Amino acid sequence: MSSPTSVAARPPGTGILGKILGHRGLTLGLALLGIIVAMAVFAPLLAPFDPYDQDLARRLIPPFWSAKANPAHLLGTDNLGRDYLSRLIYGARISLLIGFAVMLISGVIGTAMGLLAGYFGGRIDLFITFLITTRLAIPVVLVALAVVAMIGGSLLIVILVLGLLKWDRIAVVMRAATQQVRGLDYVAAAEAAGASMPRIILKEVLPNVFPQLVVVATVEAASAILLEAALSFLGLGVQPPLPSWGLMISEAKTMMFFAFWMIAIPGSMLAMLVFAINLVGDGLRDIIVPKGRG
Amino acid sequence: MLGYCLKRLGTAFLVALFVSVLSFVLLRMTGDVAIALAGEGAQEADIALIRKLNGLDRPLVVQYLDWLGRAITGDFGNSLYFKSPVMGLIVDKIGTTIILSLASLAFALIVGIPLGVLSAVHQGSWVDRLSLGIAVVGQAMPNFFFALVLVMLFSVQLRWLPVSGSGTWAHFVLPTLALGYYITPPFMRIVRAGMVDALEMDFVRTARAKGLSKAKVVLKHALANALVPVVALAGVQLGLLLGGSVIIESIFALDGLGYLAYQSITHKDFPVTQAILLMLSIAYVLLTLAADLINAWIDPRIRIQ
Amino acid sequence: MPITTQRLMKACLAAGAATLVLGSAAFAGKKDDTIRFAYEQVPESVDPYFNNVRIGVIMGQLGWDTLIHRDPVTNEYRGQLAKSWKWVDDKTLDFDLREGIKFHNGEEFDADDVVYTFNFVGKPENKVVTQTNVNWIESAEKLGKFQVRVKLKRPFPAAIEYLAGPVIIHPNEYYAKVGPKGMNEKPVGTGPYKIVEHVIGKSIKLAANPDYPAALGKNIPKIKNLEIRFLPDRQTQTAEVMAENLDFIMGVAVDQALGMKAVPHLQVVEGETMRIVFLNFNLQDGSPTPALKDIRVRKAIAHAIPKAAMVKQLVGDKARMINVICFPTQFGCDDTGAPRYAYDPTKARELMKEAGFGGDKKLELDIYAYRERDQTEAMIGALRSIGVTANLKFMQYAAMREQIRTNKVPISHQTWGSFSVNDVSASTPNYFKFHADDMARDPEVRDLLEKGDSSVDPAVRKEAYKKALTMIQEKALAVPLYSLTTHYVANGALKFATYPDEIPRFWEMSWK
Repeated sequence: MSSPTSVAARPPGTGILGKILGHRGLTLGLALLGIIVAMAVFAPLLAPFDPYDQDLARRLIPPFWSAKANPAHLLGTDNLGRDYLSRLIYGARISLLIGFAVMLISGVIGTAMGLLAGYFGGRIDLFITFLITTRLAIPVVLVALAVVAMIGGSLLIVILVLGLLKWDRIAVVMRAATQQVRGLDYVAAAEAAGASMPRIILKEVLPNVFPQLVVVATVEAASAILLEAALSFLGLGVQPPLPSWGLMISEAKTMMFFAFWMIAIPGSMLAMLVFAINLVGDGLRDIIVPKGRG
Repeated sequence: MLGYCLKRLGTAFLVALFVSVLSFVLLRMTGDVAIALAGEGAQEADIALIRKLNGLDRPLVVQYLDWLGRAITGDFGNSLYFKSPVMGLIVDKIGTTIILSLASLAFALIVGIPLGVLSAVHQGSWVDRLSLGIAVVGQAMPNFFFALVLVMLFSVQLRWLPVSGSGTWAHFVLPTLALGYYITPPFMRIVRAGMVDALEMDFVRTARAKGLSKAKVVLKHALANALVPVVALAGVQLGLLLGGSVIIESIFALDGLGYLAYQSITHKDFPVTQAILLMLSIAYVLLTLAADLINAWIDPRIRIQ
Repeated sequence: MPITTQRLMKACLAAGAATLVLGSAAFAGKKDDTIRFAYEQVPESVDPYFNNVRIGVIMGQLGWDTLIHRDPVTNEYRGQLAKSWKWVDDKTLDFDLREGIKFHNGEEFDADDVVYTFNFVGKPENKVVTQTNVNWIESAEKLGKFQVRVKLKRPFPAAIEYLAGPVIIHPNEYYAKVGPKGMNEKPVGTGPYKIVEHVIGKSIKLAANPDYPAALGKNIPKIKNLEIRFLPDRQTQTAEVMAENLDFIMGVAVDQALGMKAVPHLQVVEGETMRIVFLNFNLQDGSPTPALKDIRVRKAIAHAIPKAAMVKQLVGDKARMINVICFPTQFGCDDTGAPRYAYDPTKARELMKEAGFGGDKKLELDIYAYRERDQTEAMIGALRSIGVTANLKFMQYAAMREQIRTNKVPISHQTWGSFSVNDVSASTPNYFKFHADDMARDPEVRDLLEKGDSSVDPAVRKEAYKKALTMIQEKALAVPLYSLTTHYVANGALKFATYPDEIPRFWEMSWK
């Protein structure tokens, strides 16, 4: 499925860069994502304060648009007197780390399963399809909640739990893509030339299904970021004083009726990040996945 | 068709069995339920007693088989927390969750299908772009955040709708919005894609050429075609909604299955968590099965031929 | 698109209008003489013996009575269902019961009810949830229609306090017939409120008991109806009370309470609680942080916590600073001998240096907590300034206890409400008498506490507790911090008083 803007705006025959620049959604997504990544990378340079430094006497200072604002704290301070802007900037690291790490874990599991099922077919395919069906049938939120509630939340636990739960869609897409590639001539040729099976899978099949992997993994990263926020919202995600955006919403939710900015700011950042990743995902799909397979 | 049916049912059974083993092992591995039961200030002897009284001192395999044997007959044991039968609790709460899920699905269909059709018919127009924009932005907003904004606006500021509870239909409006908006974009996208394809197809062009009005062609022929994948998607989404209403139900204190699940998790009420996990998994498998069967039955291409 | 939007708007407006009509009855508690109260935790059962949450204690006071009554203001003990009592020896108590009292179902109250209740709850196999409330009971026997003798398993002077708190009396005939399960579904007691309807996990409706005798220390409720709803989400409670769908909530966090002060139709009242907050150190072998065995490190941590600033910013005006591990009004809670560790980061850093830390050698440890996460976070921030890196492990209470039992916890941020029992035996021993939560395991402290717990001579008890409390501080086995306060937010028209035991006396409340 392609977005209407891209169809109209894509000039034929240009290289990949031209395609990207010609795709408005993708350009916007990459720009936003770039900003957030830059925030994460250069956090120590950008943040005006140490995000962990607390000052109980300077708590709950409102942001710049309020009359009671303090110019030193552009976005105000939180309930322990920590600078909100600094926490927001450092928070980009946590969300990106979670999105990326979960994508990596689930990507490895999902790709391995999809490749095996798609390449070998038969019983292996049956078994892996069964695993995928089982996984799809398990309500992710509930299982993640239950596990984290019992062993206690931490950045590592959240990444592991989500990574181990969210490989299903990747496996489905990889399986279908591998099945298509499997039938192509050069795979048959490689087989005929006596190439070893792992070699065929890694050298011939994987590079050909990679574009689709990138697209589906992007979507999964966005959904992992939202899930982490949801877990943190229920107090079962990463642990304070880590400045995660989901956690910032959770910590401020009791104040939402009196200091709405405290959830609105991290909430908007979260939405912006997911929005950017989704735009990139959609854009990549338009550009690199052949039409009809998305 | 019958063979297909049986095969799918068999898979559903195996999946349920596998899920039951997984959830049982997973939940038992992560904590000692006896300590949770004993409460604040309980001593070693109290905990040991509670462990024995609840049969928690037996080997895990024995506990699992015992549980499974009874679960098959619909007896999921007693809730460790509420002390009443798990099945009774679930029966009490499931109605609320079903109403909420169906209402959210209905919302998604009522909003998503027309938007998808309009976008496809007017490709590239402002309607198309706007709805695409709404879809992308909507999917980016965390649903708990959206729910809080809804409460803030409609319940506290305007006081149009109740904040929490499940007494009247008005109690379901905000939760339905909060849950429904998130699953609307997939329907919109799939309808749009289906419509775009259908409008290119020969039978639609033929119909146009015969002089049928545009609206009629769009609604009768193209839409019928585009709705096929919607059925499958609806099945999947309904299954996900049943399991995904945890956060929304707890924000609005809707007394449904998701809320019960959340309570059971925080109270380490294993029998309830296990039963709900199992039932939701079975519901998901059955719903996707039903969607597939309906699909095979109504495929319009078959009918048009 | 425009059509859909319009339709949606219309639907919303229609829904809104309908609610205004439907909902008019739901507003304003004064009009239909009903207090709408919401609580965050769902009790496992309404039978007070079968839950371990505070709402259970509150329900026990609303629907039932106890043999003895403690005046919440003067802390004096008076008879409630018992006219009088006396110690026969240090393991035997005799009661003279009041006559002419009826349970809500019409059953007459007499010795049989007391004997049945005590013998039922005293048996471990009947699985009363909070065993510490009843595990001192050996048996009860009937001496006459209105005379009862209760035998104790061991000398237990605090029994009087328990008899005035959690040990409520059930109707024997009804209880024998329906058991705890039936009692949960349709509760029957003698209390100032009758339980009209209990929708499990959702709500409880109560109505004033018009026959409640004045002699029992409580009274016929002035406001006829009480409705309790279980709302686990704090923001939902806030939203409901702001939308005038609730008349009373408690345990509101200080910032929310301050926010609601600005809402015209609400009143915010801060109340004291008996719940104390302290840090507990692990000194056992195999502790994950052996550095805590060094008393200088423990003292440094004690000096590093800005107690006063935390109380002012995060707790509330009515909080008390505590200097020993017990609540100041509890019998035996004497802090006069104990050394105090004032907030002094410089001294804390010096102590850390003496203990060999500083420069590249930093102390890193885990701090476990299960409630008031912001306070734990504030302490972590404070420890950071003396070069201690504390990682927060925040979890359910049960999970934390499991970690403590398996010796994985170096420091725990503990809170303890003593079940509102006004005696040191209900607090300090729980953490220092080699019970599951004791991470210090100091035999000297244990022996002193044992002496205080088992003696019937008040002077001996006082002396022993004082010594134990002093020793805990001398050895810096724990860091006493402060008592928590709770904020009540209520309909502006409601008149009510608050008590440190956190039991709202709904029967005393009235409309202004």
